Amino acid sequence: MTRKRRRLYMVAAGVTMLGIAAALVLNAFQDNLVFFFSPSELAAREITAGQRIRVGGLVEEGSIERQADSHTVRFTVTDTARSVRVVYSGMLPDLFREGQGVVVQGSLGPDGVFSAEEVLAKHDENYMPPEVADALQKAGHWQKGGGT
Amino acid sequence: MRTGRRRRDPLGVRAFGTVLARDLRLARRQGGDAGLAVLFFILGTVLVPLGIGPEGALLSRIGAGLLWVMALLAALLSLDRLFQSDWEDGSLDLIVLSPLPLSMTVLAKVTAHWLVTGLPMTLVSPVLAVLLNIPPDQIGLVALTLLLGTPTLSLIGSVGAALTVGARRGGVLLTLLILPLYIPVLIFGAGSVDAAVAGPGAKSHLLMMTAMLLAALPLCPWAAAAALRHALD
Amino acid sequence: MHRFANPSRFLRLSAAILPWSTAACVCLLVVGLYFALVASPPDYQQSETVRIMYVHVPAAWMAMGTYAFLALASATGLIWKHPLADLTAKAAAPIGASFTFIALATGALWGQPTWGTWWVWDARLTSVLILLFLYLGYMALWNAFDDETRAARAAAILALVGIVNLPIIKFSVEWWNTLHQPASVLRIGGPTIDPSMLLPLLLMAGAFLFYFVTILLLRIRLELAGRKLRTVQFNRARASLRGTT
Repeated sequence: MTRKRRRLYMVAAGVTMLGIAAALVLNAFQDNLVFFFSPSELAAREITAGQRIRVGGLVEEGSIERQADSHTVRFTVTDTARSVRVVYSGMLPDLFREGQGVVVQGSLGPDGVFSAEEVLAKHDENYMPPEVADALQKAGHWQKGGGT
Repeated sequence: MRTGRRRRDPLGVRAFGTVLARDLRLARRQGGDAGLAVLFFILGTVLVPLGIGPEGALLSRIGAGLLWVMALLAALLSLDRLFQSDWEDGSLDLIVLSPLPLSMTVLAKVTAHWLVTGLPMTLVSPVLAVLLNIPPDQIGLVALTLLLGTPTLSLIGSVGAALTVGARRGGVLLTLLILPLYIPVLIFGAGSVDAAVAGPGAKSHLLMMTAMLLAALPLCPWAAAAALRHALD
Repeated sequence: MHRFANPSRFLRLSAAILPWSTAACVCLLVVGLYFALVASPPDYQQSETVRIMYVHVPAAWMAMGTYAFLALASATGLIWKHPLADLTAKAAAPIGASFTFIALATGALWGQPTWGTWWVWDARLTSVLILLFLYLGYMALWNAFDDETRAARAAAILALVGIVNLPIIKFSVEWWNTLHQPASVLRIGGPTIDPSMLLPLLLMAGAFLFYFVTILLLRIRLELAGRKLRTVQFNRARASLRGTT
């Protein structure tokens, strides 16, 4: 066996390993490597009460209830298929509003209500002036908060 | 190595074994760096419950991450000697001249490094996991992630070790170069236990760790060999 | 000498480019800042906070672009053993590190009002932090050797190893559910950003690009001058030694 041929074998073995690695990565991405779960994923999985997780989705229109006496807020996070009720007390980010994407971190209570320790607002990749947003919405081309 | 033997060793298996056996023998005779790394892994892990208090729930939550951080640091401790000592006593020049491709020599040395650091750490990890109050059904998973992850640590580390051969303050520099590259291994290693506890299962994390190992296996020895060749120019 | 033939041509060329790139940087910066701070509309959701984008996004682009450039220069230096390419990579690193730092800092300032947190450990933010560490490691490696060629080659190999991080940064927002929003400009299907906001963004990106070119040329000239100075000092020391013995 010549030096050249041995080199060829080594390169072939290396490339094969890289190929398998790439296949494994693609396979892993089909499963879940996530920063947060959607409400549907939450429903599909058996999550034990008290386990710290993150849930992401849109704040459902008309679901925000603020308690007058405290900072406690209740709202529903939805991915349009399933939804989960969230209770949170503390400072909310500027972008928090109905129809907006949020990621809440906390745990699911035994009653199915998610008690959040942290609420993060997620914004989509659309940037536009308010007038354009209004015009688009009037024309029915685009739903507010329809991204994500 | 005699020329007669080279002809009967076409794939370099025997030469590979020679380098591996030499490094293992050095590790055993000198007894130093590698054993110290494992001791550091054990002592460092034991110190944490003493420092933050023996609260079981807290320990079991941070346990896997803690073991992983300690494994990372312990792997780093012994890495700066990987090529440095051979470079200092001149044997590196001879190793480079041997008929075995330099990347295979690197792979043999990395294997030796893993056998005396990563493997013992993996083997003691279940005991430490019990001390850290990690749930019994997760202990096997922790050991499995270490088994998959520590070879990757040794492989990535070999590139840093080769780059810093002959450098001023090589040890500190090595840490600075290698720790950022260790971050993905840490994320998936420690994250797999969280994923298994939280529900989605650790399968995708384990796949990612296997993928990282398979990618590092050809690439890291190749890069380390290139760095060594430049170091000896 | 062959070694100095190219640098002298570079010195002449860079002297010709420098006034133009400086002027382009200043002009784009003035016009870009006017559009970014005054003439562009507020966002429909974030209102005025969106203006951080005009610094954050160009800085992040340049942070990645500079690394790609650095890796390319490193490869050139490694393969063709071109000393000027090594110096170019060395000169680019601190600029890239500062772009990365600016992107991280403005990102934190932007994240606090919009997301409600300075920092999250999501894939995009973590991978950009790794980029900053790579830049710092690269710079430290350059300083760790007495022999410049050895330093250049070690640093070049590190730069090439680190390039795996670039696709991870770029695609992290698509591969994982990150808190960071997906790309708005460089994406399949065209930008999802209103033209009135895209214009200042591109102007600022242009300003950052010419800033990079200007500082890079200045830093390479500085490196060359330092090298020449060292050679002169070395020769003088040698001559004086020869005189005494």
